[in-house]
Amino acid sequence: MNAIEIRNLTKSFRGMYALDGLNMTVPQGSIYGFIGENGSGKSTTEKCICGHLVPDKGNITLFGKPYTDAGVRVRVGALIENTGCFPSSSVYSNLMMQAINLGLKDRNGEIARVLKIVRMEDNAKLQFKKCSLGMKQRIGIAMALLGDPALLILDEPINGLDTDGMRLMREILVDITKNYGCTVLISSHILGELEKIATHYGIIRQGKMIREIAASEMDNRSQVYVSLKTNDVQAAAELLRRGGCNVRLEEGELRVYDIDDTGRLSAFLLRNGLVPTELRKHKIGLEEYYVSLMSKEAV
Amino acid sequence: MENTKTLQFEKPSFIRRLQGMLGVDFYRLFHTPLFYIFIVIAALIPALVSMGAMGDGETAGMFSNAWQIIAADSPLYIVHDMGEYANMNMVFIFGGIMVSIFIGHDYRSGYVKQLFTTHAKKEDYMISKTIVSAFSMVCMCFTYLIGGMIAGAATGLPFAINAGSLLCAILGKVIMSLGWASLYTFINIIFRRKFGISIALCFVLGTGIPVIGAAALIGNTTALNIFLYGSSVYACLSANFASVLVCLACSVVWAIVYNVLGSVILYRRDVY
Repeated sequence: MNAIEIRNLTKSFRGMYALDGLNMTVPQGSIYGFIGENGSGKSTTEKCICGHLVPDKGNITLFGKPYTDAGVRVRVGALIENTGCFPSSSVYSNLMMQAINLGLKDRNGEIARVLKIVRMEDNAKLQFKKCSLGMKQRIGIAMALLGDPALLILDEPINGLDTDGMRLMREILVDITKNYGCTVLISSHILGELEKIATHYGIIRQGKMIREIAASEMDNRSQVYVSLKTNDVQAAAELLRRGGCNVRLEEGELRVYDIDDTGRLSAFLLRNGLVPTELRKHKIGLEEYYVSLMSKEAV
Repeated sequence: MENTKTLQFEKPSFIRRLQGMLGVDFYRLFHTPLFYIFIVIAALIPALVSMGAMGDGETAGMFSNAWQIIAADSPLYIVHDMGEYANMNMVFIFGGIMVSIFIGHDYRSGYVKQLFTTHAKKEDYMISKTIVSAFSMVCMCFTYLIGGMIAGAATGLPFAINAGSLLCAILGKVIMSLGWASLYTFINIIFRRKFGISIALCFVLGTGIPVIGAAALIGNTTALNIFLYGSSVYACLSANFASVLVCLACSVVWAIVYNVLGSVILYRRDVY
């Protein structure tokens, strides 16, 4: 079953389309990295799923039920734009309000559990406004985690976090997916961090989903290339092209795509009188994939 | 990494949903100084009113009975002096300000998004806010009553009254809290974060100026009881059981109207 299925979702603000027939499929149990430029419609999509925005048209289902189903929505946790905490109240009070809202029975136990997950056990009495940005983000996650959510929607949760904070957030997200069976929809600009945890990706541009891909599939399909420097780069490029290789001259080096056998490559060059002075194997990551996809779309 | 355990989604009943929403609102109400400040203000209003009555100025001698601090002698939609106007109805003016700040903070803090994420049914929000706001205004009515009795005693005014009528007047005004609370909740879900506008509008409507203005045009008629301020005035020291029923009908009907309209708006409008 899919945790989220969106079909033909459209949302406009004063005639400007933020979402233009968006389709999206988030498999249950996945960590879905939602990627796109600023203003591409990521937050709008998330807000529509959470019922904060009213779509112009389209269909949203959560776990096979309409997104307006009270039974499903009570199992959705979200951190969108801000934590939704009262600044003058303590961390504990804010969590208590959410626990009451969700109708949880063992409220203190639940609060202790989520505070432990986000490593904030010692800060429960702290006033929310006195918390650091990283702490506030973690409290937001804790709020979203209350009541055993089946779906977690996080909008840029790692923005503004330091290296340690990012690592902690990564650990938390992997932990809740693995141990609590939660599906996570996470949008972020920090692709390097997303790449470490995401199992699926959705790339959005101008309100349209331009690519959805599983991390494993992307890994399999990711282009590998060998960067090389020789005594005559132009001659090497010509030679490899004639040999049927996909060759590009980029950033002062020769890149030979879809080849990972460096031994065969260097032997071929040497046989033809060219001496490779530097040879390295690379794999195109999420960032390069995203950039190349965006540049193709722009054309 | 993917974990596809079978999930069970239990649809919460209306009562359970409302309990959750009411629980949060009452928790917030009792944990915010705002509520206690307004409770104290409600108790101080009659003291300020009676101080005016004791003075030598224009307001001197505006009360001839201590209970007139609680309600007017008869349903006067057209008021001629402060003595005819200054009574427990003033709780509804301050109640409007309190409700505006209370709901406005929901939107300013962004907490309303947490509520709407987990509560797909928007009517839960309207009903809960109306009940909690009505409760706070009822509390203010009672502290006003206590303040009024102390102020009446301090000014040395006589307490002689028909107990039944007094009880009906107080009960009528307490019942009107529900209608006023629904109006203020409705205004606040229209203006949301801009609670300065909500406060101003609640204040204007709470003072009853539109009804007083209408009364000046069409006369002192009981037809004005269809309005919240009209029925609030109708709960006076000459009230009887019928007056209570009028207050009940007016309050409940407006509460339903505003709750339905408010829910429709919440369903159709984006939450910011």
